[in-house]
Amino acid sequence: MTAPAKVNGRAGRKRGPLVTPWSWLVGPLLIVLIVAFLVPMWLMVVRSVTDPPGAGLANYQEFFNSEADLRVLGNTFYIAAISTIACLLIGYPYAYLMAIVPQRVAGILLIFVLVPFWSSLLVRTFAWEVILRDVGLINTTLKGLGLIDQPLPLIRNTFSVILGMTQILLPFMVMPLYTVMQRIDPELTRAAANLGAPPAKAFRRVFLPLSYPGVTAGCLLVFVLALGFYITPTILGSARETMISRFIADQIQQRVNWGLGTAMAVVLMVLTFICLAIASRFVKLRDVYGALGDES
Amino acid sequence: MRIRSRSIAALFVVSAIAGACGSSAAPAPTAAPTAAPTAAPTAATSTAPTAAPTAAGLGTATSDAALCTAPTAPAGTTLTVSSYGGAYQKAQRTGWFEPYAKATGVTFVENEESANATIKSQVESGQVTWDLVDVGNDFGLAGNAPLLEKLDYNVIAGNEVIPGFASDYRVADITYGVVLAYRTDLNKGVPQGWADFFDLAKFPGKRGIYDYSAGGVFEIALMADGVAPKDLYPLDIPRAIKKLDTIKDSIVWWPGGAKSQELIGSGEVSMALMWNGRAWSAKNVDNKPVAIQWNQQLLTADFWVIPKGTPNKEAAMNFLAWTICKQNNAAPSDSIPYGPTNTLAKANPAKAPELAATNVNATTAYFNDQWLVDNAKMLDDQFNAWKTK
Repeated sequence: MTAPAKVNGRAGRKRGPLVTPWSWLVGPLLIVLIVAFLVPMWLMVVRSVTDPPGAGLANYQEFFNSEADLRVLGNTFYIAAISTIACLLIGYPYAYLMAIVPQRVAGILLIFVLVPFWSSLLVRTFAWEVILRDVGLINTTLKGLGLIDQPLPLIRNTFSVILGMTQILLPFMVMPLYTVMQRIDPELTRAAANLGAPPAKAFRRVFLPLSYPGVTAGCLLVFVLALGFYITPTILGSARETMISRFIADQIQQRVNWGLGTAMAVVLMVLTFICLAIASRFVKLRDVYGALGDES
Repeated sequence: MRIRSRSIAALFVVSAIAGACGSSAAPAPTAAPTAAPTAAPTAATSTAPTAAPTAAGLGTATSDAALCTAPTAPAGTTLTVSSYGGAYQKAQRTGWFEPYAKATGVTFVENEESANATIKSQVESGQVTWDLVDVGNDFGLAGNAPLLEKLDYNVIAGNEVIPGFASDYRVADITYGVVLAYRTDLNKGVPQGWADFFDLAKFPGKRGIYDYSAGGVFEIALMADGVAPKDLYPLDIPRAIKKLDTIKDSIVWWPGGAKSQELIGSGEVSMALMWNGRAWSAKNVDNKPVAIQWNQQLLTADFWVIPKGTPNKEAAMNFLAWTICKQNNAAPSDSIPYGPTNTLAKANPAKAPELAATNVNATTAYFNDQWLVDNAKMLDDQFNAWKTK
């Protein structure tokens, strides 16, 4: 069996030259990106060292000297990582299901994933609160059925935070996974079966590796988004589940200490870039971009 | 045939944009109306304050001025006022904005998203659109001077305001109390004060507390431990933390007023440190069995400030002065249990029992706003370090 034609190291369609008569169409987006995104980010970095005037690295010192701030920073990455794993464990089977069922059913499954996505984050978070709290849906039902005496501690802990965040971030995991999975040629898995592999082995040796770009895309997307969450952890979690973005918001909005707030934000941003850099050692990031909607 | 990946990607991108817009429109509710308790007069006695007025002196204006009874404004004046929205702003509207507009012809443009950070960004960018802002007690002190206009006490009756609640850059417009609210059905007996709040043996159940280091959490712990209101500051944080550790696992932190109302209303907590207006709403609007213990309340206020560089400074100053006049000051308390700040103002007798200012007694404490702002970082650090352990 010959391999499909490879161009620029990638199987698939041939890519054209970088600059074409249509290249200028990128211009407006580039301008918006620079003006509305890169410039404010730069200004934020500048402010972290100039507010109050002459601050230099004082804001960063203040941050790193604070035991609470560092603990919360570590906690943020921890919760984001757990959420990512949870999303993967739930999202992968779901995307796999979507990839193997008939198209119409896949469409329905797609709607199930997207509809919550379109409703407000705050509404969904409060809905979880109503379900999980001591006087909420689950506990009053179980109590009414006589199964428990004391309410189960389902809320104000890491469990409820992960639950809420996973539900909100699940579409971001399922979509890249599905995009990649449904491009995997089912003939390949069948070929493995033909050659004597049991279904589990065929899945593990053929399908799974081919889905890695989707896994990487989904995980990176979910992880980076999870790092910025603070509303859901505040509502569903206890103080131990505080995330760093909450502190940033407090410093910016309430304390009006913009030097410290921007310094914290810069620290978070740099750490995220470091995570991405580490991830890029293990996966080709170009594959990730490919997973998000390349031509099939 | 499978769904094409291009359509998936397109659908995803559109959803992501829609979803991002939806979720970013939900700001963290850290500061609800009358958030951030402010420091109180430095002489924290609860009887008629004898604290010295601020260094600036409180001018010569009184409520007998024509400005109070017959205000005027140039034709075509528009005042943009920013407050905290909801029932709170509605009470200010019915009590102040509408009568003043009727008397003077001023047009009010209202904003419901008062935030300290917005004032700062407006003033720094040179585009000040807010003429008058209602802020919490953590703003308007000397440290914010570059952002605010100095108040003119030859127009504002500052010497009639509760001492300590008027200073160079801010004057209190409504008072409120940080009180002990409790469920009458979930507690055997009536809690007498903060010591009972910390007594889980006598009053089992969870406790709601404002999730803000300067929100009263340390003050109530110290009072529960026996510290007299006048000795609260400088706060003995280690002592307060020791006391707080006794109830740590029973604390439910609320980030905003609406949440506190919901927590006590649903019964998830049997007692809460709350703003008296929210406790009142839980009882009278939500019809829940909630009562207020006025002993050892922390009386504090929200303040008017005028951002620096506003084009309507004089009109704003005159309106501000009008709301402080004794004839007008208590008007919002008709619709909301937040009290007057002018000591000569008379609240509606039917509403007076619900007001924090009327329920001041020997046990009432006050925040020291200046100390709380000066030590903000230390407070935040200690609070967060303890909370997240």
